[in-house]
Amino acid sequence: MLKRILIFLIGLACLAIGAKAGGWTPETLPMVHLQDARRYVCNPDGVLSQAATDTVDALLASLERDKGVETVVVAVKHLEGDDPYTFGMELARKYGVGDAEQSTGLIVILATEDRSYQILTGNGLEGTLPDAICRRIQNRVMVPALKRGDWDAAIVGTMQAVDGYVRGDPTLRAQYGEKSDWWGRLGGVVVTLFVLILVAVVASRASARRRCPRCHRLTLRLVCEERIQQGGRTWLRRHWQCRHCKYEETTADRDPPGGGGLHHGTWWPPFIPGGGFGGRGGGGFSGGSFGGGSFGGGGSGGRF
Amino acid sequence: MKQTKTKIVLICVAAVLLLLFFGAFSVYNGLVEKDEQVTNAWANVQTQYQRRADLVPNLVATVKGYAQHEQATLQGVVDARAKATQLTVSAEDLTPERLSQIEAAQGELSSALGRLLLISEQYPQLRASENFSELQAQLEGTENRITESRRLYNEAVRVYNLSVRRFPGNLFAGMFGFERKASFEAQPDAATAPKVEF
Repeated sequence: MLKRILIFLIGLACLAIGAKAGGWTPETLPMVHLQDARRYVCNPDGVLSQAATDTVDALLASLERDKGVETVVVAVKHLEGDDPYTFGMELARKYGVGDAEQSTGLIVILATEDRSYQILTGNGLEGTLPDAICRRIQNRVMVPALKRGDWDAAIVGTMQAVDGYVRGDPTLRAQYGEKSDWWGRLGGVVVTLFVLILVAVVASRASARRRCPRCHRLTLRLVCEERIQQGGRTWLRRHWQCRHCKYEETTADRDPPGGGGLHHGTWWPPFIPGGGFGGRGGGGFSGGSFGGGSFGGGGSGGRF
Repeated sequence: MKQTKTKIVLICVAAVLLLLFFGAFSVYNGLVEKDEQVTNAWANVQTQYQRRADLVPNLVATVKGYAQHEQATLQGVVDARAKATQLTVSAEDLTPERLSQIEAAQGELSSALGRLLLISEQYPQLRASENFSELQAQLEGTENRITESRRLYNEAVRVYNLSVRRFPGNLFAGMFGFERKASFEAQPDAATAPKVEF
């Protein structure tokens, strides 16, 4: 409940910022996909009806599952700067819309009071949805609906047409973006292990050298050590020699069960594995994420 | 005792030399990698220019079908295209002069195409043609791709130039002949916003 109130408040704050600036920017636009992986339509001004949003969300969820195409639909009243192309490119750059390997991101923007629209295709989607096809969808489906003022029909119709083209392309593969992430995590584990081993080696080395009680230099070195059984217990007998003043001594300690050569309360630094386990973006309940795809400027836009 | 000291000194010297050697390796390889990225980015810019040039004959033919009286404008586009396609330079000999030559030729093609689209506004039948509308979308998309690829090229050059001029890089850059590279300047007409008249 508290979380919901918090999200509502954040949404309200974003709305206030957006309204104050006279339009949405890539920074102020709330990205619903990051809060809920099943949602793709950013509809902060309530331009689209709930039914249309749900329809498009369901369509795009199955499209992402089957074809690995990550989509963001933005339906707002105003965009700051009144430039849907630049807005879309900045949004793509900010969130990395689309799978990193296939780079199949798709951004559809509608600004009703600016009377502008834009489709942007990721680098890997330019073959499936060439600019001419985007324009054809806009000419035949989107613009007629927009001229009637039927925003729901414009967006739903456009997304259905896009869905048809994308599903008709056999070269697009289903989502498999987790692979690279898995390698990244493995790399993190390897680095962490390496650092751990390094610290252990240094620590055991440090324990094999002590301060000489006679000349007070850190030159008392372990010459030899042996395990001896006495009184039913294992003892570790060590022979030390100072390299500086040739002072010698022999110590006997209870052998630690692990048998490691630790001596005189070896100090282990509080080791915190840093990095390596960095999760991908997202937050909230079952937050989604974007794969880091790139956009080269393909797509088509216009005004109605 | 003395012998061990000499030994330690020798080992230290050897270690430092080894470190320097590997350091040089990584700096040199870093420069090569950044150089390669600039080459890639430049190849992408050229690809997008070529893509625009390839669109022109189709566009001209389409406009010709509806607007026979605009021979001068059409010829202007064809000439500008011919001029622009003649100038291709590989990334290695991309001097600032060459770059500005290319920019001038491509800019001429841009403005010729702009004029062509402007006159097409006067032909309602042409505007209503779906073929023309889709060609226009391709042209706009390609202009956007050119802008984007130029931005990425400039970014790659910036990273490269930075590492050529900064400390460990500048030693090796001089030694192995890595020179600073030229980047695109903002277009003179890009600074002023277009004027809209009603």
